Amino acid sequence: MKKRILSMGVALGMMASMMVGMTAQAAETWTVTCPWAPSGVAAMVSQQAATKSTEYSDDLILVAEAVKGDAATVNTWVASNQAGDNSLVFAGEGLLSITSLLDPAKLQFDYENFAYVENLYSSIFVLSAEASLGLEGVEALEAYVESGEAISVAVNGATGSEAFLAAALFGAMGAGDQLKLVPYESAAEAAQAVAKGETTFAVSHQSQIQETYQQGDVTIVCAFDESALENGPFAGVEGVGEYGYPYFRNRCFVMAPAGTEEETVTALRTLYDDILADEEVTSWLQDTMLLEVDTMTEEDVKAHIENVKAIVEEYEEIVAG
Amino acid sequence: MLQFIGPAAGLLFTLQNIIWINLGVFIGSVFAAIPGLSVILCVILFLPVTYRLSAIPGMMFLLGIYCAGGYGGSVSAILINTPGTPHAAATMLDGHPLSKQGRTKVALKIALYASTFGGIFSAITLLFLGPQVAQIASQLGTAEYFMVCLFGLTIIAGVSGKSMVKGIISACIGLWISCIGSDPMTSYDRFTFGVPRLYLGLDLAVCLIGLFALVEIMSRAEDKKEVLHVDTRKMKDDGVLTPDEKKRIRLPIFLSSLIGVMVGIIPGTGASEASWFSYNTVKNISKHKEEFGHGSVEGIAAAEAANNAVTGATLIPLLTLGIPGDGTVAIMLSALMINGLNPGLSLFTTDGDIMYAIMLGLILVNVFMLLQGKLLTQLFAKVVLIPKEILTPIIVIFCFAGAYSVNKNYFDVGVTLVFALIAWILRKFDMPAVPILLGMVLGKMTETNFRRALFISDGNPKIFFSSIYCIIFLLLIIVAIGAIVRSKMTENKAANKGE
Repeated sequence: MKKRILSMGVALGMMASMMVGMTAQAAETWTVTCPWAPSGVAAMVSQQAATKSTEYSDDLILVAEAVKGDAATVNTWVASNQAGDNSLVFAGEGLLSITSLLDPAKLQFDYENFAYVENLYSSIFVLSAEASLGLEGVEALEAYVESGEAISVAVNGATGSEAFLAAALFGAMGAGDQLKLVPYESAAEAAQAVAKGETTFAVSHQSQIQETYQQGDVTIVCAFDESALENGPFAGVEGVGEYGYPYFRNRCFVMAPAGTEEETVTALRTLYDDILADEEVTSWLQDTMLLEVDTMTEEDVKAHIENVKAIVEEYEEIVAG
Repeated sequence: MLQFIGPAAGLLFTLQNIIWINLGVFIGSVFAAIPGLSVILCVILFLPVTYRLSAIPGMMFLLGIYCAGGYGGSVSAILINTPGTPHAAATMLDGHPLSKQGRTKVALKIALYASTFGGIFSAITLLFLGPQVAQIASQLGTAEYFMVCLFGLTIIAGVSGKSMVKGIISACIGLWISCIGSDPMTSYDRFTFGVPRLYLGLDLAVCLIGLFALVEIMSRAEDKKEVLHVDTRKMKDDGVLTPDEKKRIRLPIFLSSLIGVMVGIIPGTGASEASWFSYNTVKNISKHKEEFGHGSVEGIAAAEAANNAVTGATLIPLLTLGIPGDGTVAIMLSALMINGLNPGLSLFTTDGDIMYAIMLGLILVNVFMLLQGKLLTQLFAKVVLIPKEILTPIIVIFCFAGAYSVNKNYFDVGVTLVFALIAWILRKFDMPAVPILLGMVLGKMTETNFRRALFISDGNPKIFFSSIYCIIFLLLIIVAIGAIVRSKMTENKAANKGE
């Protein structure tokens, strides 16, 4: 009997200490949950912002947390956080524009569950091609498409942003039927696939294709943006928008629980804006991550979500069959 | 290269770096020894610490965790028949039986020495052959990956125990479990039954806790006479390997280190696959096949050398091509990028001193792992001296805390319990649990690469015979199947003679 009591005592003691540890947090600490891989672009930017937060505020401290799980993580976050909780979460067009249309059952939330705080960056995806094709520029791509050659594009995930960008570009060129989207498990794998000759094209973040490009295994055909790229190793690469093709940038919004006081949201936004104005952060985002600082108003955010939704609706057939 | 070695050594051998290495090694060893607390979780937890450090101490700290984690997982596998991390599951097959024979220290010592050799072997490969090896690895495509996976599945025969049929049934269960979640090729849901958390599939670490840790406690609870831990009287072993044992583990350690490096450089694979491949290969060539599963020193050496040889190898594609070899290394990538270093061959010319300092540092990490391991082995071995009334609840709580911590939700705790129940039922039918794990490890990779290869080739199966690498793997599969058939025929003949 004594041994049983001892066992129970040890178990209860450990559980109690863990519960105390889980609930004891400083009042001014804000946990920022990133629902994607800890090695991903958003998680890294969030970590960088968290590291800088103590330099710019005595009242608000950001703590970055990456819990891979996409919609499931945000579902959990929405269910367990409400106005007044010191908790923020990332949400991007992948969830709010793509999953919400293709597979709404996966989402137990919508935009109304959040109070928008700030967008930290935007990433311009690029289309790379197998080096032997020698394709550089939108006109060369149009000529290639017109020749009726096979078009296979490596993308990260079957129904992600990259897949829709590829579908929108080739679909708008009238080559939706020729297009074969080959999904890979990660952005790095997709970027490598084109270098190995498994696909003819790949859509990826600039930083993910940079090394392959420098090795001479791929050429960069175009960027998914309004105009030519201005910075970084791909400066001068044409934007598909110049030729009237659809595009969108990859963005990730920091959100607070709906109903969070406006004063608090403003304080958080100011903190993020101060961090993003830091020269060290700006140059790191631009030179290392090949991203752009991109603070946005809520109207801009809603316009972005609707723009991506329109593209998803138009090219859903090509991606999801 | 040589012009960078001097400056790199200067950057590396500082008191600050030595302290961070040792801190990382200690944290990694302890963390990985606790079931459920995986190396990747440890790296995630401590990653923010490195954001305030420069590139070299930050990477040294994370590499310390990574390498020591490879070894630490073997500790609980040996002591309590529960792998601390998924890649220590193969170690468990022989480590725990050897421990039960009263040779706990010997098992821990073999694991440590094999891990150290594997780690240093891969660090040297990284240092001298990194770019060349990476170029070869970059030629492996989807079809080659599938052949690797198929070769991996032949291991099922080796871990099926007495009945291969039961082993295959268990493996099929594992393969089915790996199908739960979003279809990797279409994103449509499979076997999720409308449960949102299942969209992501089941986490290997969470299932592992149920399959091996909780079920062990449930089973022991059924037998009141048996103690949870090893008989403490048997702990008085001197931890000395016989000359014959020392001789026997040399080849497995070397061969497994080689396999570990080969597997590690292929992005998407990892330490689990490496340890199983090595375990199976060493078993096939061993003169003492009958000892495997019953405390074979070769088995422990093979599994541990391989899973630590992966550590340096996974850094090869990362540092030379910017492609992370596995999930843990992908997280380390951010420690470099946060310091403005975007990995790739160009970095070897622009920041060669930092790159070579990191590669040299990996050797140093393994040396410190050996030194700390020698001290910690004595401490770890004392775990079995803890009375079961205290040890049992601690293990149970750690299991649940570990399951919760993987994705920070209670659903995973429920999954752990379900898997414990499945494993308990399987035990009743004398069905092995290890093939389930193997099915889960290889299932998704096998399926994804098979379907993707056929998709790329428009359904033409010739893609699986399209390169020299495919042909090599095909020959290996044929040899492996031949060895299995021969072994079974020999066993049957022996059984018939016995009758």
